[in-house]
Amino acid sequence: MSFTRKARARAMQGGGTYEEIAPAIDSCLLCGACETACPEGIELAELNIHQRQELNRQRTTYPRWYPADSNGMIDSGRRPDEQTLLLAGGLLGSKQALCLSLLEQLGTAGKTALARDDGQDIAKIMEAGLPLSPERVERFVSSLRSARTLIVAEGLLHRPLRAWLPGTKILGPGEALLSDASLRLLLRPEDLYIIEGRGYHTDHRRLAGFYHRLRHETGCYTNLDLQRTAFSTGAASLQGRNNIAAAGCIENAKRILKGKKAGRVVVEDLADSEAFRLATDLPVIHIAQLRRGKLSYED
Amino acid sequence: MIETNVIKDKAAQANGLWNRVGDQTNPSRWNGEKWRSFVDHLNSRGVIVHEALPDVSVFVSDAGGLALGMPHGIVRPFSADEIAEVLKAAQIYAVPVTTRGGGLTTEGESVAFGGLLLDMSSMNRVLAVDPVNLTVRTEAGIYWHQLAETLRQDGLDYLSAPLNLTSSVGGTLGVGGIDINSPRLGCSADQCLALKVVTPTGEIIECSTTENSALMERVLLGYGQFGVIVEATLKIRLFTPIIMKYFYYSSLRTAMEDLKYIAHEDAADYSGILTIMDRAINLLVAFDSDEREKEFNLRWRRHLRGYGEASFGLRMAGYYLLHPWKFREAAYLIGRRLTLFPEFWKPEYMHKGKIVDRTVVFSRAVWKFWGGRKMVIPDLAASEEKFIEAVERGNQVCRKYFRHYTLYCVGIKLFNSRERYEMSCIPPDAGDIAFGCEFEPMLRDTDYSRDYLQSFKNEIYDIGVDMGLSYYRFGGMMKGYIRKAFGDDLVDKHLALKQQADPAMILNRDVIF
Repeated sequence: MSFTRKARARAMQGGGTYEEIAPAIDSCLLCGACETACPEGIELAELNIHQRQELNRQRTTYPRWYPADSNGMIDSGRRPDEQTLLLAGGLLGSKQALCLSLLEQLGTAGKTALARDDGQDIAKIMEAGLPLSPERVERFVSSLRSARTLIVAEGLLHRPLRAWLPGTKILGPGEALLSDASLRLLLRPEDLYIIEGRGYHTDHRRLAGFYHRLRHETGCYTNLDLQRTAFSTGAASLQGRNNIAAAGCIENAKRILKGKKAGRVVVEDLADSEAFRLATDLPVIHIAQLRRGKLSYED
Repeated sequence: MIETNVIKDKAAQANGLWNRVGDQTNPSRWNGEKWRSFVDHLNSRGVIVHEALPDVSVFVSDAGGLALGMPHGIVRPFSADEIAEVLKAAQIYAVPVTTRGGGLTTEGESVAFGGLLLDMSSMNRVLAVDPVNLTVRTEAGIYWHQLAETLRQDGLDYLSAPLNLTSSVGGTLGVGGIDINSPRLGCSADQCLALKVVTPTGEIIECSTTENSALMERVLLGYGQFGVIVEATLKIRLFTPIIMKYFYYSSLRTAMEDLKYIAHEDAADYSGILTIMDRAINLLVAFDSDEREKEFNLRWRRHLRGYGEASFGLRMAGYYLLHPWKFREAAYLIGRRLTLFPEFWKPEYMHKGKIVDRTVVFSRAVWKFWGGRKMVIPDLAASEEKFIEAVERGNQVCRKYFRHYTLYCVGIKLFNSRERYEMSCIPPDAGDIAFGCEFEPMLRDTDYSRDYLQSFKNEIYDIGVDMGLSYYRFGGMMKGYIRKAFGDDLVDKHLALKQQADPAMILNRDVIF
């Protein structure tokens, strides 16, 4: 079975069924690079999720990495009135010190807060192509309406949040932090800077320019290829979270490292840390640790 | 026991041509005789044949989108040994084998009309980079873009390759491969220093210009008839960003004369013509270094008759003010200018006014503006002397069939009179340089009938027969032109070579023979 996006399309055109190409659909890590690489601008990321939705309608057993349906289980909590909210997501949210450090660096006069509802369950349900409860989405969105800027660690939420909250600025933690020139100065030419792919690919035209400038300003390596798509480890995917080795994330990290004379790896997405730790002996830090390099991963 | 010549060679027979305008030359589907025995044989030798519908339907067509056919099964080889097993068995059971890299053909050459398809994209590793001697050894299923990605890690680049992200090294070497630096560097096949080839009878042979050179000369530009290219050693170079310049013409003839002048004088590192319409022709030149650009400005620039963008824009504005009834034409021109040109200046691919990744910039633009569900790209390859007349005649045919189309013209430097050029896209009467022109209608979403498109192609190819030219795409559905273009003696010579190398005529059947 060929697992490329084009092969899946061709297989379907040729009369294949979703169940017949299930291994290819399930293997997709939804990094979104195919959409950026497509010169005709086809919205492939959404089509990938659509294929997963169609497959779910036909099958009765799901892969083990599928999430439990937690629609409606999250307490959105109070409505924050801060202008900037950080949606930390599962992994970053669980690292209290790192989260606080990130908030501190992002915060301007205490106007940045941690969102209590970061929509992580919604992202998982979407990624799995399972039905999403409109009520759950509404509660999630309501909790964010007062904010002008959302800093969203989960890249998969960038596109839907732009649709749900038009006018609200949606940024990834990397872009949000690196907008501060003093932080960019801390990136060194021997750093390998790992851009979080899912969010990057949803706003590629703008962010390609942002990271292009970053590369030339700092001289650092990145995980961008010649087409300026971000080569992802896939560690943030459901498959990667379930089994980072089986999902190929460590191999992907090795491939990103190949040919680069890097001395340190700096990641935007904490999920990538694990893949790189397993792939290399180089020090791996999160972008929030750039200024306070002594923070450990366990923080 | 190997049965010889079990496939009748329709196109190779003198009366095997389809002369009526509009005729298709699609091969008929192979009937599947002995397929099961063939598969059992391969399975017993550890070769996996994928036969499920989702596996085979991936290869239902090629980039052209007009040839439709399905293999009975596919093999994704990971070694030359595996390919050798496939070809040995194919000879025994007379099963046709079609090789495919990126599937970037437009005449169905990489479409299997039954039989086995070898999906070479599984062999895509770069094996060794030699930055001192500037060579790379790579598996042949790799796409040029992937190769560029790997070479860039060492500050290196390939020499020349087709402007497309998914054409493979093996497929390109098999047909030639043209880039906008071909006026200086020749076709991609001429970068090749050595090959590992599996012959149609399953022998694995290393060849180069000094070792098994006859095979090397047959396989390069051999349209897949004499072996499967498994590995290739290629010349490479240091990576350089390029400086791009555009000149605009309202006369196709003047633009072509200037293109010939640039190629003749070796005035630029890259050159080519892209037409937007008959009244708006773009001659692009590019340079690998500031020194080359400076030399161009000093020595050759003043001889070119093209305009800069601003002065050409003013001239065109004046023209359309005097011809207001041609406002649709003006609107098309402006629209094309506004959408196409920014693709070449995307900031993320530029640095200090230079294009950093020409392979990406050009390939994406080519696909975005000239790609589509169907692509019809007949071409003519001519000697320097015949080039202008050939293009002008082809342009008239385009005008007759389509409102909008693009001509892409480029020079191809030739290196001596190598055997490999015989019965290839290189015209037999070309001297030091040949010129090629592709005629590409802008089909977009218009559903032209296959007959209409075929008639268009036939008229272009008839120019080639009339003028004694050659073609890049004479294989596959257009193989009916082979005898017309090359003559019986040459075709019979190659047919005899093919029958000797491939007794059961199984490898890439219906591409040429």
